[in-house]
Amino acid sequence: MKNINWGKYSKPMILIALVVALTVLRGTTFLSVGNIANVLWSVSVIGIMVCGTIFVFLLGGIDLSIATLCGFCAVTVVEVIHFFHDTGLGLFVGILAAIAVGALAGLFHGFIITRFGVPAFLVTFASQSIFMGLSMVVTNNKIVSCTAPAAFTAIGSVKLLGFPLPIYFMILMALLSWFVLRKTVFGRYVYSVGGNATASEISGINVKRVTVICYVLSGVTTAIGGIILASMTQQAAAATGSGYTNDVITAGVIGGVSLLGGEGTVPGAIFGAVLMGLLNNGLNLLSVPSTQTGLVKGLVIIVAVAFDAMQHADQSRKKVRKVVKKAA
Amino acid sequence: MSAETILEAKGIYKSFSGVPVLQDVRFEVRRGEVHALMGENGAGKSTLIKIITGVYSKDDGQIFWEGQPVEINSYQDCQKLGVACIYQELSVIPPLTVAQNVYLGREPRRGKFIDFKKMNEMTQALIDKYDFPLKPETVVDHLGIGQRQLIEILKGLSQNSKLLIMDEPTASLSGKEAESLFRIINTLRSEGVSIIYISHRLEEVYMLSDRLTILRDGKNAAILEKKDIIPAKVIETMIGKVVDESAGSKKQLHSEPGAEVRLDVRGLTDKSDRFRNISFQVHRGEILGLGGLIGAGRTEVVRAIYGVDKAASGEVYLDGKKLDPSPKNSIMEGIGFVPEDRRGQGFIPLLSTTKNVALTNYDIVKTNKVFAPAGDLATAISDADELAMGKRAIESIDIRPADPEKQVGLMSGGNAQKVVLGKWLMRDLKLLIVDEPTAGIDVGAKDEIYQILESLARQGVAVIVVTSDLQELLRVSHRILVMRKGDIVREFKDEVVTQSRILSAGQGVAEEAEEAKA
Repeated sequence: MKNINWGKYSKPMILIALVVALTVLRGTTFLSVGNIANVLWSVSVIGIMVCGTIFVFLLGGIDLSIATLCGFCAVTVVEVIHFFHDTGLGLFVGILAAIAVGALAGLFHGFIITRFGVPAFLVTFASQSIFMGLSMVVTNNKIVSCTAPAAFTAIGSVKLLGFPLPIYFMILMALLSWFVLRKTVFGRYVYSVGGNATASEISGINVKRVTVICYVLSGVTTAIGGIILASMTQQAAAATGSGYTNDVITAGVIGGVSLLGGEGTVPGAIFGAVLMGLLNNGLNLLSVPSTQTGLVKGLVIIVAVAFDAMQHADQSRKKVRKVVKKAA
Repeated sequence: MSAETILEAKGIYKSFSGVPVLQDVRFEVRRGEVHALMGENGAGKSTLIKIITGVYSKDDGQIFWEGQPVEINSYQDCQKLGVACIYQELSVIPPLTVAQNVYLGREPRRGKFIDFKKMNEMTQALIDKYDFPLKPETVVDHLGIGQRQLIEILKGLSQNSKLLIMDEPTASLSGKEAESLFRIINTLRSEGVSIIYISHRLEEVYMLSDRLTILRDGKNAAILEKKDIIPAKVIETMIGKVVDESAGSKKQLHSEPGAEVRLDVRGLTDKSDRFRNISFQVHRGEILGLGGLIGAGRTEVVRAIYGVDKAASGEVYLDGKKLDPSPKNSIMEGIGFVPEDRRGQGFIPLLSTTKNVALTNYDIVKTNKVFAPAGDLATAISDADELAMGKRAIESIDIRPADPEKQVGLMSGGNAQKVVLGKWLMRDLKLLIVDEPTAGIDVGAKDEIYQILESLARQGVAVIVVTSDLQELLRVSHRILVMRKGDIVREFKDEVVTQSRILSAGQGVAEEAEEAKA
């Protein structure tokens, strides 16, 4: 008990260190409510999406279609709103339609993966171009702007107590996702299947059903992300959300979610998203030229991930030593 | 046959952290002979082979190759001498052709490029010489495991190996493939290649080997010439006379007359013929031992009863009720199952003791439906109740450390197994199936596990124990069934049974000598 498990505190510490550093360097500009709101707002869509995609990561799967599915859902909501002549009804139907599209996409992924045993990587790699194609067909590969009804634009921009709504959505999604993973039987099954699918099956868990539901959840949060992104930018196109696959995976990985499955938490993933936002914002405030931000972000990610891997290696080394001793 | 010695190991000692594994072992292989190496699990066979192939270093002793003292410090060293080891886990690369695999890393070249034509010709020449049923151009992907093994052998021969080591080569072969392998072994022998043949299957050893070295408890128990290889004698030597007189090798079986039938298996038959027409019963409070060699179909039978694999035909009844076997149904009916491969199938390494124990028991942990239409997604677990279950398991079977939050993947084999077992103790069980329950577990924990099984039986649970450990089989069983090649071949009930009788039954060796003695 002499050794304090520093690993447990490493994430909050990184966050605090970064905040302190930025406060010292650019105190007043950084530590304003406006700027903090800005940081959180900028990562809210990624934060929302990672809340669903984390289920897939925990299974040891992956969803590469996040970006283009996000785009297709954005296109769906905007097109439906136009179809209903920019009315409130159109918004309502549009949101339902987009979420249905996300859920169906997840169902499709889950079905192909469990029924035919195709690796998730390949299925979602293929479907990402399907979603991109669908968006292009529907929009004629043009940007579709959408500024009405007012409720639609409000989703992405209205402020409550100084913070834009998407931040509240992110917090709500995080709470829901945390509840399901941490508190429910289903959540236990997700960790269990991701940790050892064979043992889970022998323990009476319907592994295929759990897998399908996880992909559906990933699709649904991606759709919600797409709707909010469309509202924030007041437009939708095939390219909406491009790059988000990387950002969501990065947020998860920085947050300690293992892509091998079985390990990771929602607070961790949200931490990862926020850290990315802080980095972007900080680099911006410190006037680092945008040509160099990619470089710095990449390095930070490698340090974060290497730190995590080091702790794991340490644990497994201890385990190996123990096993060797036992064997002898 | 020339009696020239090709490999000789003398006075070999090896211990792991103070525990002697090999003591003054002598092992000698002559040119052009098939030399079998036998012994029970843990007798030191693998350690000896690993010393010869440079995987382990020896503590003391000498190795001579063709009369010259040699130091073998790595597998490369032993390859250079001309020793090739045909491992069970095959190392062929499926997308390549037979020839490409044989000459992997040593491809014949013309200038900077690989000379495929020459490579195929060289492989064909080898194939012709030893009469292998292979073609150089075939892509390995299409070949069965038996043929892949032959590629490994070819690889060894292409490096002019004079000694091949085969570790349980027939373990995963069909009867036909095995016969083809035996034919090739005979050809190799006549070409002057020596073979060390490690197998649990006595019949193969009798058929193939010129000589036989038996290890017992890390010492030479016997080195037998062909004429002295007599089945009953070999079994006796493997088990050891010393052990024979001790309590662990002999037992009077007692069955409870008139006990109710709990499990009734009728005509269970496998889809891929790994077992057929299996019928037996287990009674209330009875521990049924299921013995036989590895690969006899025992694991497959119990997996089918529990429902991990679906049987092609046959029925399973529990307390007179016909079951539709699937893990979920079995758990609900009161069947527990502890699989043979603990790490691979038994537990979730990243999860804690509590969560592993609770995994099959969320129907009895307190839960609360927060939003009924969402089903499992909104059925909240009472963390306190779950933790209480974890603590209960730790207490009832003494899991150490007694930390309900400890990751099971970091625990010792014995404690991990207690966790796997522990989750079933939280339920009302009618039948518990355990497959190799104490593999890789230390003696103290073994005994605790036996006591758990016995106490379950006293409470009326029917228990099936599948085990390759003869001492264990005798220790726990009230009645014993022995399987061989997918059939139940023998039942031991209300009689005195010895390790050798069980072994003989599992081997299909006639028992006359044994019966005469008994």
